Amino acid sequence: MTLIRLLLRVLGGEHAARLRRTLALMTAAAVAEGLSYALLVPVLTTVFGGEPADAWPWLGAFVAAAAVTAVLRYRSDVSGFRAASVLSRGLHHRLGDHLARLPLGWYTPRRIGEVSVLAGRTVLQAMAVPAHRLQPLIGACVTPLTVAAVLFFHDWRMGLAAFAAVPVVAAALAWTGRATAAQDAERARRDEEAAGRVLEYLRAQPALRVGGRTADGLRQMEDALEGQRLGLRRSSLSALPGVLGLSFSVQAVFTALLVLGAASALGGRTGPAEVLALLVLAARCVDPLLSLSDLTGRLRSTRGELQRLEDVLRENPLPEADEPVEPRGNDLALNAVTFRRDGRTVLDQLSLTVPDATRLAVVGPPGSGKTTLLQLMARFHDVDAGAVRVGGVDVRDIETEKLMSRISAVFQDAYLFDGTIEENVRLGRPDADDADVRAAAAAAQLEETVARLPDGWSARVGEGGAVLSGGERQRVSIARALLKDAPIVLLEEATSALDAENERAVQNALDRLLRGRTVVVVAHRLRTAQQADSIAFLDGGHVVEQGTHEELLHRKGRYAQFRQLSLASVPSE
Amino acid sequence: MTTEEDFIYRGGARAAFAGTARGNPLTEVLWPYRIRLSAVLLLKTISALGGLAPLIAVVELGRALLSPEPVEESHVWTVVAVGAGGLLVRVLFESLSSGLGHLFDGELQLSLRRLLGERLGRVPLGWYARRDSGELGQVVQKDVAALHPLTARTPGEITSAVVVPLMSLVYLFAVNVWLTLIALIPVLLGLALNLKLMSDTRRSDRLALDEAMGRIARSAVEFVQGISVMKTFGASGRAHRAFTKAADDFADYFTGWVLGVAGLGALASLVLSPLFVLVLLLTGGTALITSGTAPASDLLPFLLLALALTAPVAALCHGFDDVRAARTAAGRIRALLEAPPLPEPARPLPPRGSQVELRDVHFSYEPGHEVLRGISLKLPPGTVTALVGPSGSGKSTLAQLVPRFCDPTHGSVLLGGVDLRDIATRDLYRRVSFVFQDVRLLRASVAENIALAVPHAGRDDIVRAARRARIHDRILQLPRGYDSVIGEDVTFSEGEAQRVSIARALLIEAPVVVLDEATAFADPRREHEVRRALDTLRENRTQLVIAHRLETIAEADTVVVLDDGAVSEIGTPAELLAADGQFAAIWQSQLGMPDAASHDRDTIARGGE
Repeated sequence: MTLIRLLLRVLGGEHAARLRRTLALMTAAAVAEGLSYALLVPVLTTVFGGEPADAWPWLGAFVAAAAVTAVLRYRSDVSGFRAASVLSRGLHHRLGDHLARLPLGWYTPRRIGEVSVLAGRTVLQAMAVPAHRLQPLIGACVTPLTVAAVLFFHDWRMGLAAFAAVPVVAAALAWTGRATAAQDAERARRDEEAAGRVLEYLRAQPALRVGGRTADGLRQMEDALEGQRLGLRRSSLSALPGVLGLSFSVQAVFTALLVLGAASALGGRTGPAEVLALLVLAARCVDPLLSLSDLTGRLRSTRGELQRLEDVLRENPLPEADEPVEPRGNDLALNAVTFRRDGRTVLDQLSLTVPDATRLAVVGPPGSGKTTLLQLMARFHDVDAGAVRVGGVDVRDIETEKLMSRISAVFQDAYLFDGTIEENVRLGRPDADDADVRAAAAAAQLEETVARLPDGWSARVGEGGAVLSGGERQRVSIARALLKDAPIVLLEEATSALDAENERAVQNALDRLLRGRTVVVVAHRLRTAQQADSIAFLDGGHVVEQGTHEELLHRKGRYAQFRQLSLASVPSE
Repeated sequence: MTTEEDFIYRGGARAAFAGTARGNPLTEVLWPYRIRLSAVLLLKTISALGGLAPLIAVVELGRALLSPEPVEESHVWTVVAVGAGGLLVRVLFESLSSGLGHLFDGELQLSLRRLLGERLGRVPLGWYARRDSGELGQVVQKDVAALHPLTARTPGEITSAVVVPLMSLVYLFAVNVWLTLIALIPVLLGLALNLKLMSDTRRSDRLALDEAMGRIARSAVEFVQGISVMKTFGASGRAHRAFTKAADDFADYFTGWVLGVAGLGALASLVLSPLFVLVLLLTGGTALITSGTAPASDLLPFLLLALALTAPVAALCHGFDDVRAARTAAGRIRALLEAPPLPEPARPLPPRGSQVELRDVHFSYEPGHEVLRGISLKLPPGTVTALVGPSGSGKSTLAQLVPRFCDPTHGSVLLGGVDLRDIATRDLYRRVSFVFQDVRLLRASVAENIALAVPHAGRDDIVRAARRARIHDRILQLPRGYDSVIGEDVTFSEGEAQRVSIARALLIEAPVVVLDEATAFADPRREHEVRRALDTLRENRTQLVIAHRLETIAEADTVVVLDDGAVSEIGTPAELLAADGQFAAIWQSQLGMPDAASHDRDTIARGGE
């Protein structure tokens, strides 16, 4: 039942009625099935009682009841399928709407895999609940209960024995659930450890080979695999007593009924024909009851997956301003900004200003917070303290669309979707005409690339732009920014991936893009830093130095030192 | 263990010997475990028979109670006792088979994973260049785990779908032929309906449904991957719409598909349902009894056992999904187990000296596309040879052939006058070490990481190597010094990781070193340390270096310029500068742009070009 509640929660309230109706239909079908079985008793009593001809009217009633059950079952099946379809649509829409509102900072590479699992397997499993899983479960609970009531009606001793099974079965199921939950967590931990070690083993192959450590592998991996086996064994064994307990109690109750029935018949309390009829009825309940542990096990794993879906749906989206303010101008400012991520302070009370149409270069060692700085300006995340201002207005008070319309972001990992170069460039301004798109592509020196591709402008670039080189992908993203023509450019210079020719092409494209705009660039090239109006040297989440290239050189501080070291790699001529 | 390994390694040979097309991967992968699997199956069968005993007891009870002769009480109680005994047998054997099944499942997974690990430790290192280690890891973990239902659940399914119905059928046939025929009607009807359900049109519908599901997954990935770009360009609506549309299409398709077959499906499950079977049996039975063709007691066993007859049909259409999944997984496992290992020489020869020579080396990853096209080179002992050239020219492939990541497709690589293919791997790696950019540190102590290639190295040697690699002082700053666990106590920066890998190479003391030079403007101070550590590594060794730095190139004894898989220029740096060719052009462009030299890093990190 917690599963149903969870399902309703992730689905949202509006679909609750449909799911309830499905549940009601399924229960009705199960009750009808139990009542049909009840009619077996008079049928068999007459057949076995030596009056087979008297059985026909009862038989007629039985067939009618079976027909009613079949109709109800059909309707509940259809209702279950419809519910599954509604569920699929509803979950996907909710997930999609929610993903679109999450802060961009939420998206890490790991999330990509997670979301595709959620949208695929998890939703399929959720759909299976109303479509396939619920009906057998309800049948396995309701039908035996109905049968127990019938037994009670005919022979109270047998009825009591049957009802005695109810708490035992419930306890066995609950026990299994608890025992496995504890072990499953432990097992998941061991599985993860083993998976990590296997990956490590694969990636460290060159180093391992050198030591001739192939046959014995790696001790850590061996231990992890052993641990994994132990985890598997423990979790299987922990479920076993519950499963066997269920099997034992169900069979024991049936045996008890056998004994009681024999005693009743021999004692003359109940007629032999009636006893046999009741035993046939009881035998009908054994299989459904035994299947309960499997059915609940499957539902438990579905619940685990849905839980992850709910966790994602519970992530807080970026709040939109109630009364949005229009930014005045295109200057940027960070006022005493503090930003934490995973418990680590990435930016600490950092302040910076970038006047309209000037260029700020951000330099610093890895991990100093350079990329985060750019991301905050585009509001990938919200700050923990202080404020990021665009045109004098806190970005949290600006409508997201308005903010984005002012900013072009060119990040290192330029993302291309699987379409043509033209479509990818057009993303910069979807209503641009072809001439504009071509002009932007040409300005980003993409024409050569297009000429190289077999289908030219209409060639698809593959998922993630796979057919293009790193430099070409960058130029596509520069072309997008050129086409968008936004007054603010946030640029993360590539650290690698370019040969001399590409490098020149990218530089030329960038020169066009940056001219006359407000620019913040995370610089990895000395030249880029040199050309900026101002350079901020970041370390440990602080601006340790700021000034022009000359000023900073003159100061002989961190920037000067930094520059010296990188020049040292070039010998004097 | 040995026999199992032998079997798996000869798996391919066996298939070839049989002279048939490839067998079922599942059978092949599980074949070594057949005896234990059969044992589990046998225990399951006994348990299932025990489960039948109470039902048969009811039947016998019926015979006793319904017979016109006076009821013999002791007989009745014997029957009941047999039924109860069957219950005991059932619980006992059920426990045994489940316990063994699970135990054995763990064994099976462990031994398969070991086999896979062993094989992956023997394939050529170059084999990894074109594979995603994440996906390989999935085979070792997820695919092996996918065999689980097969060992833990399938024996149970087989008994309930095959053994029990078969036993019941024999018993019922002996009781009454006519009733048996009636009991088979739903089985045949169900079979026919299910075959219709599984007909071709429906299978293609099913494929289309899978395809629709695939579109959802793809659009979800695209949506998530591209979201930052989409959002900053105000185009998030586009990806969002694509995703929603894929979701709607799927839901529509699902509804259409499922409702299209709902009637037939309901009919099929109705025909196989206990109610329908009972309706037929009771109607037919009552008619037979009324007409006096059969005694009333004959009906009883049918009411109890005939319902099991429909199980195989139900299993045919619903069950065995797990088996299909396991089969696909087994296919991937088999493919990995059959990846050809790097051949070891039957009679290894010891190399004489440390001169490296390439003789007319050709190499291609795929037929028809040569990455190296006839390279001949000599690296005299104690000299430094710098490899230079544009990205894609084959530098890293060439460098990888020296430590035998792959064998050349044509020509040969020699060490000390002996073809690498004739040198035992252990011997080779005592003489050739390498430092590539893609440094992988293990989540293990620093000392273990340094001594990875020399597992029995003493602490003194490890410390000496670390000192020379200029990482010793950094290690001493760590909370537990050399025993600090990387990834737990400390996370090394890229430069530090490189110095650890240099220490690894130093510890081996190999006379030949293959090196891919690191460059990073991002942190020049630390990079400086790396370069000084590399200088140490260079002392008195034959070195082949993929050079990015003018300094390195300038100090090299020989510079080899590669272009499109062939040597375009070769000579001392001064000679090549004077020749004013391709090398001179590269030299000039690098002078103009101090850090453009980092361009090849990614390519090399990926281990190929």
